Amino acid sequence: MAKKRIGQVTLAERDEIQALFERRNGLNELAKIVTADNTELYERLVTDLGSTGTKFQNWWDTMAQQYKWESADGGNWEINFDTCEIFLVTP
Amino acid sequence: MKNNQIKPNKIRENASPWQGGIAKSITFIVTKDCQLACKYCYLVGKNEKERMKWPVAKAAIDYILSHEEMFPEASVTWDFIGGEPFLEIDLIDQICDYLKTEMFRLNHHWFNSYRFSFSTNGINYHTDKVQAFIKKNITHLSIGITIDGTRAKHDLNRIWKGDAQPERGSYDDVVRNIPLWLEQFPNAGTKVTISSADIPYICESVLHLYSLGIHEVNINCVFEDVWQEGDDKRFEDQLMQLADAIIDGGYYANYACSFFSEYIGKPLDPVNENQNWCGAGKMLSIDAAGNFYPCTRFAAYSLREKRPIIIGNVRDGIDKNKLRPFLTLDRMTQSPDKCKTCEVASGCAWCQGENYDAAATPTIYQRATAICLMHKARVRANNYYWNKLYRKLELEGSREDFEKNKPQVKPIDC
Amino acid sequence: MLQYLVILLDDTSASFCHYHVTKSTPRLMPLDTLKRGIRFGMIENLMIQFIYPNHALPQEYLEVIDTIDHSDIKPLAGDNADADIIVTDNWESDVSKLRDAVVVLRTCWAQFREHYSQLNNWLAVAKRLNVVVTDVERLNDDDREQYKAILETLSKEVEKLYVEGKSPQFNLLTDRMVLTEMNNCNAGDTTITLAPDGKFYICPAFYYDGENQSVGDLDNGLDIKNRQLYSLDHAPICRKCDAWQCRRCVWLNRKTTLEVNTPGHEQCVAAHLERNASRDLMLSLRSRGTFLPDKEEIKELTYLDPFEIATQWN
Repeated sequence: MAKKRIGQVTLAERDEIQALFERRNGLNELAKIVTADNTELYERLVTDLGSTGTKFQNWWDTMAQQYKWESADGGNWEINFDTCEIFLVTP
Repeated sequence: MKNNQIKPNKIRENASPWQGGIAKSITFIVTKDCQLACKYCYLVGKNEKERMKWPVAKAAIDYILSHEEMFPEASVTWDFIGGEPFLEIDLIDQICDYLKTEMFRLNHHWFNSYRFSFSTNGINYHTDKVQAFIKKNITHLSIGITIDGTRAKHDLNRIWKGDAQPERGSYDDVVRNIPLWLEQFPNAGTKVTISSADIPYICESVLHLYSLGIHEVNINCVFEDVWQEGDDKRFEDQLMQLADAIIDGGYYANYACSFFSEYIGKPLDPVNENQNWCGAGKMLSIDAAGNFYPCTRFAAYSLREKRPIIIGNVRDGIDKNKLRPFLTLDRMTQSPDKCKTCEVASGCAWCQGENYDAAATPTIYQRATAICLMHKARVRANNYYWNKLYRKLELEGSREDFEKNKPQVKPIDC
Repeated sequence: MLQYLVILLDDTSASFCHYHVTKSTPRLMPLDTLKRGIRFGMIENLMIQFIYPNHALPQEYLEVIDTIDHSDIKPLAGDNADADIIVTDNWESDVSKLRDAVVVLRTCWAQFREHYSQLNNWLAVAKRLNVVVTDVERLNDDDREQYKAILETLSKEVEKLYVEGKSPQFNLLTDRMVLTEMNNCNAGDTTITLAPDGKFYICPAFYYDGENQSVGDLDNGLDIKNRQLYSLDHAPICRKCDAWQCRRCVWLNRKTTLEVNTPGHEQCVAAHLERNASRDLMLSLRSRGTFLPDKEEIKELTYLDPFEIATQWN
C-alpha cells in the first residue's frame, strides 16, 4: 500500500469534514440502539443519516474539483485532521 | 475512486489530545470500588458501597444537557472513573445509550463531537459485557489501560485487594488483555505513575511497555510528598539510562515517553506564561450522591486532610460562585517565590486537588512543591536526552526528517 | 503590614459589618486579656479600635481602655457617649442622636428596600453614613435592578445636599468619587481582631462563625497561614477591579466562593452598581460646575462583574 501527499485543505474546510465525519459516526452508533418502534427518533435518524452522507460526499467532490486532487484506480483519499493534509492511498 | 476513507485512528488516537483544550470533560464517578489496592492510589476513601445509581446518572445528564448555555465548549469527553469503572459496565452502557439518544433528540451541539473515555486497570477488559460495549461505541472510545511496566514494577504497587499474604500482584491479569486492547486501539497509550519505591524500575519498565507494543507511555511522578532523600539523584540516573536506551536502541522514531519533552526546563514569563496548569473547574465530576465537583480529586474519597469541595448537585445545579476561584486561578498567584523565579519552571506540573489537600489552609491557592527536586532531576536528564539525540540525528543527517515525523505524547499529568 | 487591631470587648459586642453576632450571653473579655491585648497593640504599633456591647462596662475596663490612644465603636442602643463610630441596625432610630456622628447602619436587603427613602434624614444629620447590606450575597437579578433604581433615587438626594453646599459622606455613593485606589476592609492584611477568648481572628466574623478559626493568640502571637491571600495583589479578580469603594469582605468571599481572595458574583455586582451610580452622580455634579477637579472621571464599563472578562487576563 502506497501513501502520497497530494494536497492540503484550510482549517475551516477541515472543520467542516471533521464535523460531518463525527456526525456520521455518531449516527451510525445511534442506529445500533434506536429501533423502529421509537418512531420519532427513528425517522429523524434515517433522514439525518441520508443527508449527512450526502453532505459528506459533496465535500469530497467539491474539494477534489477545487484543488484538482490526483486520483488513481482502486485508490482512496485520506485526510489527516491534525495537519489538514490530503493523501492518496493506493493498494 | 473511493473518497471517504478517513482512517478512524487519525481522529480517535491522534498525536494531540482529542480536541485538547476545547473539550469539556465530564466525569462520572460510577463506583468507589476496585479489585486492586494500589499502594500509591490517591483515593483514600475507596469502598464497595458508593455505586452510582441510574436515577442519579440520569438526573446529571438531564441537568447538563438542558443547560447548554453553561457548557459552550465545542466538544465533550464523557469520562468514567472509579475505583475501577468497568465494574459498573451495565450502568455505563445505560448512561452512554442515554447520552447518545438525548444529545441527538435535543439536537445538542455535542452530538457532533463527543468521546467516552475510560481509565481502567484492564482486568475486566476481555469480558463479554465490556467487549460488547466497545464494539457498540468503537468510534467514540478512548480507553487507557494502566500497566506500570515490568512484572516487578507493576506488582510492587498494583496488588489485589484483601489481606492475603503474600500480596498478589495483578500483572498477569492485566497483561493478558494488552494484545486485545492494542488490536482495538493500536495507538493507545498507557499511564505510569512513579512513587519513591518505583524509581529503580523506570528504565526497564518503559522499555518493557514498548516491547508489549505500547508506543506511547505517559509517565509522571506522584504529586504527594512521598519522596526520600536522594530520590532525585536516583531518578535522574534512571532517566539517563532510559535516554541512552531509547536513543541507542532507535526507539525515538516510533515510540514516545512523556518524560522527554523539548518544552520543559525553561523559565516562564510571569505575565505571558501565567496560566494555571490544572484544568480543575473547567471539568465537572459527579459522584454517586449526585454531587458536582470541580474535579474528581476534590471528592471526599480523594482527600486525606480536607473537606470535599462540592460545587452543586444534580437537583440544584452548579453554584457558579464556587467555580470562580478555579477559573481565575493563575500560576503566579498560587506559586511560592522559588517557583516564580525558577529557571527551569516550564513543564513543572501540579495537581489542584493535591495543592488543596496539602495546603496550610483550605485553599486551592497554595501550590504544593513536593515534586520540585524530581522535576529538576527530570530537566537535567531531559537536556541530556535531546542533546544526545539531536547530535546523533545531525551526524546521520536525519534531524529534519525526525522533526517532521517525531512521535508525540498527550500532555496528561493527572 | 498590620496597622489596626480590633478588640471585641464582649461576646455581644455590636456588629459593624456583614456578620451577625451569634453569641447572646454577655461575656466580657477578661481584664488581663484586655491589658495584654493593648500591650500587643502598643508593641506592634497598631491603632486600636474597641467594639462595645450594649451593656455598660465596669469602670476598671474604661480606665484600662483609656491607657492607649484608640477609637470607640459603640452601639446606638447603649451608652454611646464619645463614640467615634455609632452602629445600629434599627431603621426607627432617633436620627437626632446621630448629629455629626459617623454612623454604620446595618440592614438586610428586604428592610433596605422598604426603608431606603428614610436615608435622607440620616444623610442630613450624620457626618458620615455607612450602609451595610448584611445579606448582599443573596441579591438576585430582580434585586439588582431594584438596587440600581434605589441608588439613583438616593443619588438625587445626595446631589441636593451638595448643591446646598454640604459635603455628605455616604459609602455607597460618595466614596468612589474621592478614592484613587482600592480602599477595602483589609482584614487579615492591615487589620486583625482580638476576641474575648484571647485569640486572634482575621475579623470578628470569623470569631462568630462557630468553628475555631483563630490565627494565633496572645501567648504565642499571630500565626496567619497563607497570609498573602488577604492582600490585594493575591486576589485575581479584585486586583483588576476599580470598584474601589467595595468592602471586599474576605469573610463573605469565603462564604460564597470558599476562598478568601475571591468575591462572589453578587458582591461584585452590588459594588459595581454603587460604582456606576457614583459615576453618574459625579458626572451630574460636574455638569453643574467644578467638582473634585483633581479626580479622574470614573470610566464607563460594559460589565457588572469583572469575572465576566477574567478569561481575557490569563
